[in-house]
Amino acid sequence: MLARCLAEPRVRVGGGLMLALLLIAIFAPWLAPHDPGEQDLLHTLLPPAWAPDGDPAFLLGTDSLGRDVLSRLIFGTRVAMHVAIVAALGAALLGSVLALIAGYYGGRADWIIGRAVDVWMSFPPVILSLILMVGFGAGLNNVILAIVIVDWTRFCRVVRSEVMTVRRRDYIPAARLAGFTHLQVILKEIVPAVTPLLLTLISIEMGIAVVVEAILSFVGLSVEPNVAAWGVMIADARQSMHEAPWGLIAPVVGIFVSVLAANLLGDGLRRSVDPRLAQRLSVLR
Amino acid sequence: MAQSGLGIVCRRALIALPTLLVVSILVFTVLRLIPADPLAMSLPPNATQEEVAELRHSMGFDRSIPEQYAIWLGHIVRGDFGVSIQFRRDVLALVLEALPTTLELVAVGLTLGILLGIGCGLLMFAWRGTAKEQLADMGSIVVLSIPEFLWAILLILGLGVGVQLLPFIGRLDAQMTVPKHTGFLLIDTLVAGNGRAFLSALEHLALPSFALALAITPLIMRVLRSSLFDAYADDYITVARLRGLSERRILLGHALKNAALPTVSLIGVQAGFMFGGTLLVEVIFTLPGIGNLMVQALHNQDLPLIQGIALIYCVIVLVLNTIVEVAYLGLNPRLAQA
Amino acid sequence: MLLEVDRLDVKVRLASGDVAVLRDVSFDLQPGRILGLVGESGAGKSMIGRVVAGLLPEGFKSTAQRFRFDGKDLLDLPAEQRRRLLGDRIAFIPQEPLSALNPVLTIGRQFIEHLARLGVPRGERRRRATDALTEVLLPEPDALLDRYPFQLSGGMCQRVLIAMAFASNPSLVVADEPTTALDVTTQVHIVSLIRRLQAAHGTGLLFITHDLRLAAHLCDEIAVLYAGDVVERGPAKQVFGAPRHPYTRALKQAMPGLTGDRRPLQALPDIMPGIEALGRLPGCRFAARCPTADASCAASLPPLALVAPGHWVRCASACTSEVTAPSTIASEASGPANGKALLKLDGIAKSYIRGRITAVKDASFSIASGESVGIVGESGSGKSTLARLVMGLDTPSAGYIELDGIDVTVPEPSWEKRISLVQMIFQDPASALNPRRRVANLVTQSLEARSRAASEAERLKRALELLGDTGLPEGLLQRFPPQLSGGQRQRVNIARALCAEPRLLVADEIVSGLDVSVQAQILNLLQKLRREHGVALLFISHDLSVVRHLCERVLVMKGGEIVESGRTEEVFSRPRHAYTRELLAAVPPDDMNKPWPPTP
Repeated sequence: MLARCLAEPRVRVGGGLMLALLLIAIFAPWLAPHDPGEQDLLHTLLPPAWAPDGDPAFLLGTDSLGRDVLSRLIFGTRVAMHVAIVAALGAALLGSVLALIAGYYGGRADWIIGRAVDVWMSFPPVILSLILMVGFGAGLNNVILAIVIVDWTRFCRVVRSEVMTVRRRDYIPAARLAGFTHLQVILKEIVPAVTPLLLTLISIEMGIAVVVEAILSFVGLSVEPNVAAWGVMIADARQSMHEAPWGLIAPVVGIFVSVLAANLLGDGLRRSVDPRLAQRLSVLR
Repeated sequence: MAQSGLGIVCRRALIALPTLLVVSILVFTVLRLIPADPLAMSLPPNATQEEVAELRHSMGFDRSIPEQYAIWLGHIVRGDFGVSIQFRRDVLALVLEALPTTLELVAVGLTLGILLGIGCGLLMFAWRGTAKEQLADMGSIVVLSIPEFLWAILLILGLGVGVQLLPFIGRLDAQMTVPKHTGFLLIDTLVAGNGRAFLSALEHLALPSFALALAITPLIMRVLRSSLFDAYADDYITVARLRGLSERRILLGHALKNAALPTVSLIGVQAGFMFGGTLLVEVIFTLPGIGNLMVQALHNQDLPLIQGIALIYCVIVLVLNTIVEVAYLGLNPRLAQA
Repeated sequence: MLLEVDRLDVKVRLASGDVAVLRDVSFDLQPGRILGLVGESGAGKSMIGRVVAGLLPEGFKSTAQRFRFDGKDLLDLPAEQRRRLLGDRIAFIPQEPLSALNPVLTIGRQFIEHLARLGVPRGERRRRATDALTEVLLPEPDALLDRYPFQLSGGMCQRVLIAMAFASNPSLVVADEPTTALDVTTQVHIVSLIRRLQAAHGTGLLFITHDLRLAAHLCDEIAVLYAGDVVERGPAKQVFGAPRHPYTRALKQAMPGLTGDRRPLQALPDIMPGIEALGRLPGCRFAARCPTADASCAASLPPLALVAPGHWVRCASACTSEVTAPSTIASEASGPANGKALLKLDGIAKSYIRGRITAVKDASFSIASGESVGIVGESGSGKSTLARLVMGLDTPSAGYIELDGIDVTVPEPSWEKRISLVQMIFQDPASALNPRRRVANLVTQSLEARSRAASEAERLKRALELLGDTGLPEGLLQRFPPQLSGGQRQRVNIARALCAEPRLLVADEIVSGLDVSVQAQILNLLQKLRREHGVALLFISHDLSVVRHLCERVLVMKGGEIVESGRTEEVFSRPRHAYTRELLAAVPPDDMNKPWPPTP
């Protein structure tokens, strides 16, 4: 299974990028040349080092307060990865537990969970997360909580229908006849069957979480204002877009690379486990 | 079909009412968690205790939360969304003023996105099994990895600031004025017979709606392609070939209608997401829509306005969902007859 | 000559090199005649239909000395001209009628599209469609045109497709297993309809089927295929009545009969080689399973030899040996049911959606220890629901179920006891075996559950015993189900049910997805298990001859009701209920002199 996934180039590229981002996040204090909050009002809005007016001390230039863009980018990775991992796992856990209950037991539990999903789906996710952040107040943990509360439905909807598909297979009643309890059936027969899908979804959700965090910090409703986050960098750089457009590029690339890594990994995982696709590729159909 | 369509609309409306009720409870409760005092904004810093208490009372903030909710709901049912703390104007009037901007943006963005998505999907399917398909597939993942607000920024940097091809601030050239009828500039300019203003409005819409469209184009394209693959794996395609139908006729007459079903459901979900995505696009392009209004309200903790806009967002998502559902039923006889 | 095929080869490009999936296939078809292509799945019979259509899957290539239709060589014809023949001069009747029609378009839209392509003027199309549907005996054809495929039964869809096939008055019709997906009683109507239209239009018919008996009755000539080779070809009655190739003989002796003495089934060992293995078999591909083969057989492919006028056989030795009359068996498995009832059902009913759909009504019967009871019926007869009720996977709406003297009507309280007494073999092993578990783990799944969690060593020991019991090689222990053949999977499925040593096995259509030779293996295995373990059997099937072969008593179900029951021999030889008679008449008889399908 693992070998099959690693044979897929998308998994290798996406996984590699993701790993690199994680390492940058972990080793940020050692990698960053400056303190991300350190202001240098003599050197504001410097272009990148290779541009005519660049300063080699500030490789990617500085922002309007003279803070080093590269260092802020590196520390921003920390925020992004933290949110991505914890929020994706949290949403996956909440969403798939509810999906398992709804899909396996059906009936009233399914109805209630289904209606809850309906209510959630009538909110554009951005709007719901903004409202939640207004209620919760700024802070990294609140961002994560907001993303979990908003995005559990992404998992719930997809995993539920997968559970229902698995539930219709005869090996589920067969396990019951072998003496498995309902909990055993769920844990030993259904969870392994939905795990590949879940991994794909988690991977994609990591990208979504990065974007949501960036949106929230762009609007100024995410982390505390002194924390270096990509969305904050974009919001700051936008003020001086005409004089210093390069300031926007670094955080945009940061977000793009994280989401791309997540999407490639997710798409690659889906490809390496989706039997229909495998069948299509086979000569014998 | 028309009758069942109407039936669906009625049934959706019945389902939507309790949904909206729960939504309103949710919004109301979450917003009462706010740590800061929302009244601080609307009073001068030297206000006396009595003045604070009086305002508190007049706005109903001294009652229990369920009570406040009941009163608020009672007002809303009568069409009274309250008064904005920040603007000191009727919330509904503010929202209705801003709404056409947003709806125009979504309508153009969605149409553009769907057309591009279907076009690219068909093209990609036609390229199946070739290197071009691989390239298009990679391209779609790259495009997919850039959310709409980053597209907005990139488009402004590239086509606005860089090449200076298209305008990126506001809805119309500053020196132009158009008499307001509907609030939809594309319509109002035509009603006024002002061709230059129409073009200007179109130019101003181009970048923001394109940014929105790019967020759904790759998704539609990918779903359409894989649904076409699924359809082609079905027996009736082989049987149609055995009847001697041409490949073109098989694609357009048989496969596409089946592949449209999953594509339409995806559009239904994505339309709701896109509607939320307008918020940042409006901020970035300084468009006076409800997204921009919402951001201002959030910054000022203008509770009545936040609640009002949130509800309007949900109502519109529910309307969008209903439209998509009717379209889905029109395409799927199995459900329509059930 | 309508269709003239001479030395047709179809090769596929695999990683291991080119492999011939059809070798040296030759046959002729005269206008107005019927040729049957008979073989098990994977024999290459459908591939011939695809070559006729010119629609081979990616990677396949066909070459032939001659492949003439109406004097034109099809393989030389440009693709566009070939396409124009399809649906017009050459028409096809597909296998799965329900999925062969586009689900989102009305019948009329699809029919009229076809007529438009044939060049029927716009104003006449609807009338022509109605006429065609009338010809295939569909009621209210005009209203039918406005309906969608899912609103029709499988039989009705197949009639629509047959009407479409004959609408152009084609000179050749290729029917690929047109009745396999249908119920027995529908099947007979469809076969007689195809025959009637074929005779009326003077059409040449290529009839592809796995059912040798059906082909023998319907066709003028038969070609039997094995792993891409035509092993025997000749007049239908002669090939069936006196088969000369060892494979044709084995095929015939693997089929249980509906009349005459019950005889042991001759089950060939192993399975037909898959496409990957074909490259390694230059000689006779049947040699490995052949009872008469010698070393030379596998080395080179013997030529088709004429053994009687028009009767060709591709075998080095078979031409000489005579058909040995199969021995009859003492009814070994039909020991009288003694002892008290193991399972007793009394007035069992099951309805769904608050009583609006009734799946089973008022079913009462019992099974004694060691007894074998069959339930026959068509789809929707409630036989599978009854199995689920017996198993406790559903709770009956009314009635009483007793198992070994205990009331088990409501499943929950007696669940442990119940599953230690009764186990179920599910219909489709692909669905019933978790693809993520290994064989060793699957067959001992019941040791994993409950309090009796066993050690790894114990489980392995038990798994080996079970594999031995079900005739599976030990080498399969660590395999996953998708790596097994259909027959092996069904054995694993049976082994799992045996693990807890139940006293009753409920088997729901467990051989319906299998080829005849594999079906014979499984039926023989079930008989062996009954003999050795004394386990009782509730065997559910739509196939009357299989039930006759295996069961002492039989229940006939229709529309949720048991309409007739009794000793199998008695019910089948002197059926009392009209429905039982209808079912029996739908099966092609062994006796070639009896006309079948019965002319209405």
